Amino acid sequence: MLGLFSTLNLASRSLQAQMTGVEVTGQNLANVNTTGYSRQRVHISASPDISTTIGPEGTGATADSIEQVVSNILNSQIQSQNSTSGYWSSQQTALQSAQDALNEFLSGSGATSSTSSTTTDTTSSGLSTQLNKFFSAFSALSASDSDANRQAAVTAAQSLATTFNNINGQFDNVRSSLNSSLNSDVSSANQILTDIAGLNQQIYNAESGGGNANELRDEREQDLENLSQMTSITTSTGTGGSVNVTVGGQALVSGDSLVDSLQTYDAGSGQLLVRTASGGANLTLTGGSMQGTIDARDGTLAGMQSNINNLAGTLITQVNNIQDNGRNPFGGTGNTFFTGSNASDIGVNSVLVNDPQLLQISASVNNGGDTSLALQISQLATASQSALNNQTFTGTYNGTVASLGSALNNANSEVTNQTAVNSMLSTQRGSISGVNVDEEMTNMMTFQRAYEASAQLVTTVNTLLGDTLAMKTE
Amino acid sequence: MRVATNAYTDSMLNQFNNLASKQFTLQSEVSSGLSVQAPSDNPTAMQETLDLSAQQSANTQYASNISTLQSRSNVIDGVLQSLNTITSRAGEIATLAGGATNSQTDLNSYADEVNKMITQLVSAANTKDPATGQYLFSGTASNNPGVVTMTDSSGDVTGVQYKGNYEVNQVQIGENQTTSVDVPAFNSSPSGARGLFLDAQSGADLFNHLISLRDNLQSGNVSAITQTDAGNIQKDENNIAYQVANNGVLQNQLTAASNLASSRSTTLNTAISNASSTDLVQTMVQLNQAQTAYQAALQSGSKIMSLSLLDYLK
Repeated sequence: MLGLFSTLNLASRSLQAQMTGVEVTGQNLANVNTTGYSRQRVHISASPDISTTIGPEGTGATADSIEQVVSNILNSQIQSQNSTSGYWSSQQTALQSAQDALNEFLSGSGATSSTSSTTTDTTSSGLSTQLNKFFSAFSALSASDSDANRQAAVTAAQSLATTFNNINGQFDNVRSSLNSSLNSDVSSANQILTDIAGLNQQIYNAESGGGNANELRDEREQDLENLSQMTSITTSTGTGGSVNVTVGGQALVSGDSLVDSLQTYDAGSGQLLVRTASGGANLTLTGGSMQGTIDARDGTLAGMQSNINNLAGTLITQVNNIQDNGRNPFGGTGNTFFTGSNASDIGVNSVLVNDPQLLQISASVNNGGDTSLALQISQLATASQSALNNQTFTGTYNGTVASLGSALNNANSEVTNQTAVNSMLSTQRGSISGVNVDEEMTNMMTFQRAYEASAQLVTTVNTLLGDTLAMKTE
Repeated sequence: MRVATNAYTDSMLNQFNNLASKQFTLQSEVSSGLSVQAPSDNPTAMQETLDLSAQQSANTQYASNISTLQSRSNVIDGVLQSLNTITSRAGEIATLAGGATNSQTDLNSYADEVNKMITQLVSAANTKDPATGQYLFSGTASNNPGVVTMTDSSGDVTGVQYKGNYEVNQVQIGENQTTSVDVPAFNSSPSGARGLFLDAQSGADLFNHLISLRDNLQSGNVSAITQTDAGNIQKDENNIAYQVANNGVLQNQLTAASNLASSRSTTLNTAISNASSTDLVQTMVQLNQAQTAYQAALQSGSKIMSLSLLDYLK
């Protein structure tokens, strides 16, 4: 038999246990909006019983532990999906910038009624229009060799050259901003790796006493998820509850120490890549925003830039081949048409800009009114070029635009798909680890009522003790 | 399934984002009339539109070139009409002078008339193209005046020297179609565009034939006029008639090319429209659907979010 004082103790332990339940519920409610928080449960068990002649008698309940409700499988799935979504998001950003840099957009004058036969006046904004205008200007010049047409041809060529320069400059900007985004990813990743090593240490310290470092584990999980957005990582559980992190086959965090960190390096001509800082090993990254950035930069973007350069180079060669062998109306020659050799430096010879009369569009001397070379230049528009895989200038360019469009379109749909996957996974994780306010309120009521009941026990025992004491005075 | 409280807000935010971006895209399609604006919207349609736009641009230029050639052809036609008048009158004079009743005074007055014709011819040969300010009948050496005259002491033209050539500029008026309305004043070779005043193919040599007629009129050499000049001038008349007819053919060709360019422009516009324009009815229906979905998401969201056990715990 427990006796009154032991029963009072039982009531007191029960009050403590139920109070812990209310506290944990409060903690869950407080963190309902905290990112990465996993709900906690108090584990209450019956205290050891005492053998009596009439059988074992209970001694109440104690709160054994406060545990997180987490699914490690879902956590590791989320990490791996994060790498994929990080990869495509960075591709999307990079390709979107490239599309803006190319500035090839359609604009219309208004909606077309499907019942009327009128058509929308569609115009494009970028290099394609400039190419068309250039060839048209020379066609007009071949039809009528007037001062105005000569001026128009030179102006069209200047606009074309400037557009080439701008596109190239914009591509360079995109490239350098991708490089800085890579640098900033690497420095964030290093910060996170340092944090993870630190958290491993703290978790070890906290749990070595036998408890659970729930909040620290949440924080570390959040760090791992953020890191996996930047690069795909492999994790393994180490001693003392630590998590070891490996990137591209190189161990970076082992237990509580940061073994190595990441570093960008110039692999030549401004092409930044990632390696380990002290080991210097080139890392083959397989996902995450770093690899997405590198792939977009060295894949689609580099391809575009080289196509545009090739286009400009071929145009310079072809137009100069015709114009430079011609004569101006006064029989003179010697002024090249396009200067430069690619999209970055293409320009129109300033001598011709200052005096379009010196344009050399006559095939021979003493043939001042001959415009046959202007016709030849205008006919380059439809001539397939061996340097452009036997495509025309506009065909090559339009193909380049379409290939960028496809790459971005693909990245867009990958991002959409990945968002759906991530959202599904986080809903699944929410269903296990997330806080539900209704549920917590119900739990609170459960603990509250249990607390009330135990308090009632104290009152009852108190009354009994009073009765016992009263027996003596009577 | 257990649902975390935040799952509502997260999924609602996702839905709102998706529906808002769908509405934005559809709205911009409706307002611009284009289903494709950026290459990523529809790469294939974008490429098709750009290809078609390049063709349209070339086609517009063909139309503009045709119009340039039509104006030039009209100027040439004006000159041809006056040359036609001159050669007819010269033929008449050759016939009249061959008659037996003419006194030398009559012949001299014919000679004066022919002399004036020669001056008119020089002026016609040196006509400038109003669009470019270049000589119209000098071939491609069009910054040179067509003919330079040699005169005797009394100021009469005794001969002309041609400063141009018999090459002509070809102009593109359609895909794989070039033409030229230019007429060189002189063509002493048996090939190329036929010369207006001198042409080896037809035997025309208007300046020298008129100078010879004038000289024979002045010297009263009637037999030379009937035997030689009348026949020669006939060749000139025939040559001018050929040129008038040829100019007419060219004008017809230009009109046909112009009609072709115009119908091709309509075809291309329709094709561009098919590739990149919005089907307004379909897009409006889709926009309505998106709006309805958005409203439903807002309403259901606000209903669910306002519900909580807390409402009942009082």
